[in-house]
Amino acid sequence: MGLPLFRPTQDPGPSFLGLTEALGVAPEWGPTTSDVPHATTVIAVRYVQGVVMAGDRQATGAYIASRDVKKIGAADRFTALAISGSAARGVELLKFAQLSFEHYEKMTSTALSLEGKANYLSPIIQRNNLSSPLPVLPLLAGYDPTQRAGRIFEYDGAGGCYERYDFATIGSGSPFAEGALRLGFRADLDLEAGLELAALALYEAGDNDPSTGGPDFVRGIFPMMVVLDAAGFRELAGDDVGERFRRINERRAESRGVAGGALR
Amino acid sequence: MSNYFYVSPEQLIKDRAEFAQKGIARGRSIVASLYDRGVVMVAENPSASLNKVSEIYDRIAFAGAGKYNEYDRLREAGVRWADSMGFTYAREDVDARALANYYAQHLGDLFTEGQKPLEVEVLVAQLGGDLRPTKLFRILYEGTIADEPRFSVIGGDAETIRERFAQAVPEVADLATTLRQAVAALAGPDRTIPISDLEVGVLEDRGARRTFARLEPDRIAELLGEG
Repeated sequence: MGLPLFRPTQDPGPSFLGLTEALGVAPEWGPTTSDVPHATTVIAVRYVQGVVMAGDRQATGAYIASRDVKKIGAADRFTALAISGSAARGVELLKFAQLSFEHYEKMTSTALSLEGKANYLSPIIQRNNLSSPLPVLPLLAGYDPTQRAGRIFEYDGAGGCYERYDFATIGSGSPFAEGALRLGFRADLDLEAGLELAALALYEAGDNDPSTGGPDFVRGIFPMMVVLDAAGFRELAGDDVGERFRRINERRAESRGVAGGALR
Repeated sequence: MSNYFYVSPEQLIKDRAEFAQKGIARGRSIVASLYDRGVVMVAENPSASLNKVSEIYDRIAFAGAGKYNEYDRLREAGVRWADSMGFTYAREDVDARALANYYAQHLGDLFTEGQKPLEVEVLVAQLGGDLRPTKLFRILYEGTIADEPRFSVIGGDAETIRERFAQAVPEVADLATTLRQAVAALAGPDRTIPISDLEVGVLEDRGARRTFARLEPDRIAELLGEG
């Protein structure tokens, strides 16, 4: 690849999408037909100081394709992007978003706003989903340093971007996770309560949805849990997450598989 | 009917070189040097937003002296090249030497074929790691590329500054010493550069993927104050 110099009138600016198109290396977001694994349940919940996220680790095609997929990625220091739908397109979108946000920052010496990042993804999702049988539906969550709060953006199939002020879920296990979140969400959740609720909602999804993986005590593979606050993106250690799911599992074993009339 | 006068190639090159040198001499110089934990780039730059020192990639930094619009365009092309290479292949495949060669080719082509040569000199620094050594590449207005072992100076007064710095820092030192001597070499014996006019960038391993950092004025003052 040679040095990409452009005339001012044809310059793609700080947009990495624009650059890949100008260079002819843009990912092909068009239709393909093959049986591909699908990614499954991811949850984001706002709490008083930021956002917590939880995502299962299973990719499902006609059978379980992978048990240790990471569906939440750090798009940059304060932003996480979670993927559902086609795994291949999702992973590509995550990589593309990470590069795009960093590219913008290096080109302009300023970081893109959280809303700017959310809007940037809209046309990419739209183009993919309206022309392809392999849809992706991401979830963007982050800590907004200007508002000093966690913010969550979800997308519809056509690329529409909507901000959620409580919680959001994506993937096939959403209805079950959503049920737990609706009952358990409060505006004054602290970090511990937020993590507890997210884990419980994910447990419900894994319990009811065949293509959402629950905690795997046999292999020691546990859902991915992430916190985004003023200190940035951090992923909880596997042991910590394992312990949270072990507690839920023990409670459920005591009550023989039912929540027992309460969120527990 | 237009008249074409014969100009010998020697004269043409000489005129172009003089033109470029004059343009570069109007800008301020930059010192880049290895220190015990990385690479530091020190520029005298009264502007806080029109940068002379910038990040290109995870372990690559850029510095430009001369005409801002010309070297900033090269910086942008460098960021684009690096991000597209990393996107197409892998992050570890992005190599400063390849970028320095492209800059050299571009500057060389414009020097001989362009309407006018670019009035810039650029530096490409690479922080070494498991795969590659720490490197400083200096590329001049006519496409000359030099791989400099320990430190490098670009800009108008490069020769004088180079001598001052070489005497003051005979071998790789810590960041505070290197920065202090770089600032002294840029200033010369008769003046001091206010901290607000210094732009300092470093490439240093701090456990993160991206190694470039700008030093804030407070940190610069602290380092200059040490010893």
